[in-house]
Amino acid sequence: MAITSVKNLKEFSTANERFEGAHLLCPGCAHSMIVRELMNATDDNLVIATNTGCLEVSTAVYPYTSWDTSWIHIGFENAATAASGAEAMYKARKRKGTLKDPDAPVKFVAFGGDGSTYDIGFQWLSGAVERGHDFTYICLDNENYANTGGQRSSATPVGAHTSTAQAGRVSYGKKQKKKDMVAIMAAHGAPYVAQLAPNKWKSMAKGFQKALETEGPCFINTVSACTTEWKFDPKDTIHITDLATDSLMFPIYEIINGRELNILYRPKNVIPVEEYLAAQGRYKHLFKPENRHVIEQIQKDVDEFWEYLQRREEAKV
Amino acid sequence: MAEKMDLQSTEVWDGNYAAAQALRQAQVDVVAAYPITPSTPIVENYGNFVANGYVDGEFVMVESEHAAMSGCVGAAAAGGRVATATSSQGFALMVEVLYQASGMRLPIVLTVVNRALASPLNVRGDHGDMYLGRDSGWIQLDAFNAQEAYDLTLMAFKIGEDINVRLPVMVHQDGFITSHTAQNIHPLSDDEAYAFVGDYKPVDEMLDFSRPVTYGAQTEEDWHFEHKAKQHRALMDSYVVIDRVFEEFEKKTGRKYKRLETYMMEDAEVAIVALGTTVETAILAAKQLREEEGIKAGIVAPRTFRPFPFNEIREALAGLKCVAAMDRSCPMGAMGALYNEVNGALASIPADQRPLMTNFIYGLGGRDFSVKEAKRIFREQKGHADVGYITTPIQQFSGLRGPKLGFYEVKRS
Amino acid sequence: MKGVLATDKRGVRELGAEDLVGWDEVTQGVVLNSFDLEVENPALVPPEERPYSDFNSYTATVASWRVIKPVYNRDICIDCQNCWVWCPDTSIISRDKQMLGIDYDHCKGCGVCVEVCPTNPKSLLMFAEAEDPDAALSQWPEKKKKEKK
Repeated sequence: MAITSVKNLKEFSTANERFEGAHLLCPGCAHSMIVRELMNATDDNLVIATNTGCLEVSTAVYPYTSWDTSWIHIGFENAATAASGAEAMYKARKRKGTLKDPDAPVKFVAFGGDGSTYDIGFQWLSGAVERGHDFTYICLDNENYANTGGQRSSATPVGAHTSTAQAGRVSYGKKQKKKDMVAIMAAHGAPYVAQLAPNKWKSMAKGFQKALETEGPCFINTVSACTTEWKFDPKDTIHITDLATDSLMFPIYEIINGRELNILYRPKNVIPVEEYLAAQGRYKHLFKPENRHVIEQIQKDVDEFWEYLQRREEAKV
Repeated sequence: MAEKMDLQSTEVWDGNYAAAQALRQAQVDVVAAYPITPSTPIVENYGNFVANGYVDGEFVMVESEHAAMSGCVGAAAAGGRVATATSSQGFALMVEVLYQASGMRLPIVLTVVNRALASPLNVRGDHGDMYLGRDSGWIQLDAFNAQEAYDLTLMAFKIGEDINVRLPVMVHQDGFITSHTAQNIHPLSDDEAYAFVGDYKPVDEMLDFSRPVTYGAQTEEDWHFEHKAKQHRALMDSYVVIDRVFEEFEKKTGRKYKRLETYMMEDAEVAIVALGTTVETAILAAKQLREEEGIKAGIVAPRTFRPFPFNEIREALAGLKCVAAMDRSCPMGAMGALYNEVNGALASIPADQRPLMTNFIYGLGGRDFSVKEAKRIFREQKGHADVGYITTPIQQFSGLRGPKLGFYEVKRS
Repeated sequence: MKGVLATDKRGVRELGAEDLVGWDEVTQGVVLNSFDLEVENPALVPPEERPYSDFNSYTATVASWRVIKPVYNRDICIDCQNCWVWCPDTSIISRDKQMLGIDYDHCKGCGVCVEVCPTNPKSLLMFAEAEDPDAALSQWPEKKKKEKK
């Protein structure tokens, strides 16, 4: 495949953008940063399927498209299946010799939010990965149903306030733990699975390139800080993402062939999760005396998970 | 290259095998499917063709019917021939994506083996699933037997893919009665069949990278209505191409199809309007009644449930005395859909030419519909015709145990 | 406000200001073409050379979303491309590894570019939308001394 050099940002910046402005995503939205990093990481032709969600409703509202590549949206749950259908058609037509340009390199990509990935489209994603289609699925994980006003998803972390798991006099927000989607996708035996963050642009671009290069189904969970529903100033998207990766709320790692785990980013100074939580309105209530125990629990969970990741990395199994 | 299959001029196939053979002969690029009774053998037979080198295309066995249609949409947008099969609950699960396929104007062929919808669960044939698809923007062709299932499946590709149509097409056959009953079939040879269907002509394909296309944009109140109207217009106008393809097929095979099939209607006084295998049952009944009792009975059967043959219904039924519309789906709180649509067509002809119209709900969940019952219904219509009004409830349940069930009596002044 | 490398098609329409054509003129299947002409591979063609169609959001503007805007000071910039990589609106124009300026047709004024700018003083600062660019540059702050920790 034709790779854009990601040796340094200067090299990377020579990519010709294929994701256009005047889309309708919120100012400061991380979705478009991630989409741009993906599209700028390759010169190959792309067929992109997108689940219903913020990205979809903001980038293809008739009579406008923000995509300079083939793009399709069907429903909330089926971008993985749309991509697998297109990929199957590509194989069939290549075999039959009916492609207009049979030598043009092409990559199949599906985008979904955490709502469509962790929840409503879970089965469709699982099926497409099990079937082994050659495509990359990228989850834009902003940990809630942001497009419909911030309802809880199974990616919403413990303690976060959402409109359907509210913090109130007798509630500290969401009670259930976030689903470990990365582990679930690795358990499918997918050849490349990773969790990446846009603030760490190099590991993200490299991870995308790896996924696109790898034959077979790849899954990448990306943290997409949501200015609107996490409640922070739009200018702070990268700052908040830094807090997410440096507090290890969002560790950056990859799993190869369902087994080999590599940590891709080790913060020099790990910051307490409290700093990350304090920077966002959705966790404001946790700082009341009666909810402090939740912060302690979150810190404990984060520490344990980081320990687990390190042990798995060392064990090489 | 896929191997060709040597076929006899007469084969003994059931409806499922006939449909699977038509998919193979059309050289479909992608079949994305999920099995469900009674259409499962379509997928299994096709899988057998794949396993033995008769198919060059991709065969994608997905994890649900929703995914089957989703895969079909993705594949069709990528610019090739696409087909799948389903029934009943699977059809219901597909419904969301059926609307998206037609809205995107993707000519997918869906072979539907009609089966009842739960609850209660039932695997036998009725038209609940076919009716569920009637507002979905697909062309709906209805086969009354296995030969027609084969013929119409081949024609479905040619109709849907026509540059002036570009709409998805369902080919319906009745669960078990057609799908699992072996009959003599006269297939085309592989070469003849493919020559008839022709090469797929890509339109707005996602794999033409020099011309990137966006599929599935959102439209709100300022654009949605215009797009839906344009799509409706395409479906309404599709009859032109349907008629042309029917003619071409007749030239090739001698087998004649019309959007509204009529039997013994030249001098008919009473008629049954029906879909599916009931049509052949009613034909037998009418022949016997004509011979034995001199009742001038005829049958009218939409070959295209969508686009609905509105004008043809008006022409065929004007001047008749009494007509029974047979609905093999429980309308739940209304008159049957076929009754309503036929009546809707007749409402615009002069009152003195308008027949009396009754409605029968019958055959649900595979309940047998016999020649004897068809004859009884014809006789009853003759009775209404003779006295000039409907002497029974306008809607009746036929073949139902327990006290007679019917609705809406005509009050005589 | 047209910025650097603007083409005659960039940002020519406010969203919602397009012609509301009738049912007979909307596109078949709601399909949108990104370009009017064939482009062999858009990844190899810079935006200013692409035959954008009217359906491409490149031709629309969201400038009216802004209440504050980033102003770019070329004199201080080190072309690190931080602003380019993290701009959510494809509004940092870089060519040949150089930052050229801001696409004010597509910038929504989120301020991310300013936050991620590493120079001292920053090469990008937010100003009121109505502020004159030259006036903004004349008010640029001096280099800040590092605060002792």
